Amino acid sequence: MSAIYLGIDVGSVSTNVVVLNQQCQLLTSVYLRTHGQPILAIQEGLRRVVATLGRDLEVAGVGTTGSGRGLAAVMTGADVVKNEITAHAVAASYAVPGVQTVLEIGGQDSKIIILRQGVVTDFAMNTVCAAGTGSFLDQQAARLGIPIEDFGRLALGAQNPVRIAGRCAVFAESDMIHKQQQGHPLNDIVAGLCEALVRNYLNNVGKGKEILPPVVFQGGVAANAGMRQAFSRALGTEVIVPEHFGVMGAFGAALLAREAGPKVSSFRGFELTEREFRTGGFECRGCTNHCEVVELKEGKEILARWGDRCGKWSNAVAV
Amino acid sequence: MKSVKNKQWRLGVPRALLYYYYGPWWEAFFQALGVETVVSPPTGREIMDRGVGLAVAEACLPVKVYYGHAAWLAPRVDVLFVPRLVSVEHKAFICPKLMGLPDMLRAAIKDCPPVLAPTVDLARRPDEGLQAAIRAIARALDVRVGEAAAAGETAGARYREWLARQREAGAWLGNGPPGGCPAGRSPSPGEGQAARGAVPLTVGVIGHSYLLYDRYLGLDIPNKIARLGGRVVLPENLAPEAGERACHQLPKRLYWTLGRKIMGTALYLMEQASIDGLIHLTAFGCGPDSLVGDLAERYAHRRSKPFLLLTLDEHTGEAGLNTRLEAFMDMLKRRRTA
Repeated sequence: MSAIYLGIDVGSVSTNVVVLNQQCQLLTSVYLRTHGQPILAIQEGLRRVVATLGRDLEVAGVGTTGSGRGLAAVMTGADVVKNEITAHAVAASYAVPGVQTVLEIGGQDSKIIILRQGVVTDFAMNTVCAAGTGSFLDQQAARLGIPIEDFGRLALGAQNPVRIAGRCAVFAESDMIHKQQQGHPLNDIVAGLCEALVRNYLNNVGKGKEILPPVVFQGGVAANAGMRQAFSRALGTEVIVPEHFGVMGAFGAALLAREAGPKVSSFRGFELTEREFRTGGFECRGCTNHCEVVELKEGKEILARWGDRCGKWSNAVAV
Repeated sequence: MKSVKNKQWRLGVPRALLYYYYGPWWEAFFQALGVETVVSPPTGREIMDRGVGLAVAEACLPVKVYYGHAAWLAPRVDVLFVPRLVSVEHKAFICPKLMGLPDMLRAAIKDCPPVLAPTVDLARRPDEGLQAAIRAIARALDVRVGEAAAAGETAGARYREWLARQREAGAWLGNGPPGGCPAGRSPSPGEGQAARGAVPLTVGVIGHSYLLYDRYLGLDIPNKIARLGGRVVLPENLAPEAGERACHQLPKRLYWTLGRKIMGTALYLMEQASIDGLIHLTAFGCGPDSLVGDLAERYAHRRSKPFLLLTLDEHTGEAGLNTRLEAFMDMLKRRRTA
C-alpha cells in the first residue's frame, strides 16, 4: 500500500480528480462534466479512482481547488483548499520548470499567470466576458454542427482565416453567421474564430502583461489544435501544452497537498462516495442584506454553511 | 419649502459617497446648530437594489448606491442634505457626477423632499468658498450667519481630530471612519496574523473612501485581507503630504482631488519596502478611476511592486473576487519565501 495524494478541481464545467504518488507521478486522472451537480461529480470522480486503483489506498493528503473548492473540501475533508490561480501556477511550474507565462482557458473562465524564477509575479482573470472560453467554443461547435473534438483539426486546414469580431460572444456569433452566408468555407470560419478568441484573450485578460517564453497553454481548451496554433502565431513563440493539460488545476491541488505535508490527512475516506449529501438554502432575514445562505448536509447532520456576509450561520457550524 | 420652522427640520444625510470623507464635519456642524440629522443606515442589499433601479445606467455603482440611500431617507425626513461639492481645494475638482447629485436626485426620486444643496467651491479662493457655503446653509435654515460660522469652526475642529485619529491608527484595525457593518464583524486586532506566526504581509489598499469603508458596496475587502493574514494600510492612515509629495513625480498635475489622493497614496506606498503589495479598488464606470487605475498599475510595474486592480459593479461576484484576493496573498507569500 503506497501513500497517494488526491487533487480535486471542481470547476463550472468539469470536475477533475488527480491521484499522485509520493514521487509526484500521476497514477490516474478523471475528467468529468460537473453538470451543475458538484456533489455527484465529486462522488463519481472518487468512485472512478477506486475503480482504477483499487480500494487499497492510503491517502496522505487531499487538496481542492476551483470554484467548488469549499464544497469539495468540506465533503472530502481536504487538507489544503487553494484558489485555482495558485494551483495552476504550481502545476505548470512542475510540468515545465522555468515557465514564465501560463495561459489557462477553462469552461467559463480564463486566466493568465506570469511567473519569474518560479514565483508568480502577476496574474489576471477574465472579468465581465466569457467570450473565448470553453463554453462558448462548445456552443459554436454545436451550432455549426461539428463535434468539438474536430473543431481544432478543421481550423488547421484553413487557407484564409476570416476576420471575426471577437470582442463579444454575441457579436462573434452574428459575425460568423454573416461569414457563412457569404459563402466562406467552414475551415476558414473556424480558424477565424480561433484567431478572434486569441485576440480577445490577449487584449483583455493579457492586457499589459509581459508575455515571455516558455509559454504554457493549459485548461480544457488547450485540447483545441486551432487555438494552440492561433496562440503561437499571435505570440510568435512556441506554445507548450503539458501532458495533463486538462487536469492541471487538480494536479496543482495534489502537489500543494503534498507540499503541505500533513502528518495525518483529514480525508474522510472513500466511503463518502456512498453517503448521501444534500445542499439546501435559505434567505437570512437577520438584517437588510438578505444573504443567501447555503448549507451542506450529510444525512441529517449539517456539515457546513456559507454565503452569509456576517458569519452568523457559517460560524454556527463547527467544522 | 415646508412650513415647519426651519430649525426643526429633520435633515436626511445619505450615508454614501462624500459622507465617507466629510460626514463627521457635517454631523458636528448640524449638531452645533441644534438641527436634527438622520443618517441612512449602512448600505445593504435593499438600499443597493433600490439605487440601481433608480439611477441612470451609466452612473458608477457608488452613485447608484447614493440614490438608494436618498430614497430610503425621502419618506423619513423633511429635507435631504445633498451638498454640491464642486471643489474642496485650490484648483482641483470633485467628479462632475457628484456635483450633479442634487439635480439628478430631484429628477429621479418620486416625492423627493426639498433638497438642501449648498454649493461648495473652493477652487479659486478656498476661505471665501467655505464661508459662502456656510452662509447659504444659514439662510436656508434661517439661523444667524454668525451662529453658523461658529458651528463651522466647531465642525472643522472635530473633522481635523477625526483625520488625526485615522492617521494614528497606522494600520487599520477595523474601527475606521463612519459606517460599519450592520452585522458587525470587524476583525479583532491581529486576527489571522497570529495563525501564521511570521511577520504579517502588509498590503496597501487604495481607492475611494466610499468603496473602502462601505462594507457592502466595497465587499469588505480590507477585512477580507485581514482574515487572509494581511496587515492593511489605507490612504487615511498616511499623512496627506506624503501622497502630495509623491505626486510631484507625475509629468502633469492631476486635477481630480480624489483621484490625486489615490494616486499619491499609491505612489508613496509603492516606494515603501515595508509594503508587500498594493490592491486598488475601483468602481466600474468611474472616469477618474479608469485613468488613475491604469496609471498606478504602470508605475507599480516599473517598481516591480505587486499590484492588483479590482473593479466593482453591481454584477461583481464575490466568488471571483475572493479567488483573486486569495491568489494575490498567496503570490505575496511565495515571493517572500522564494
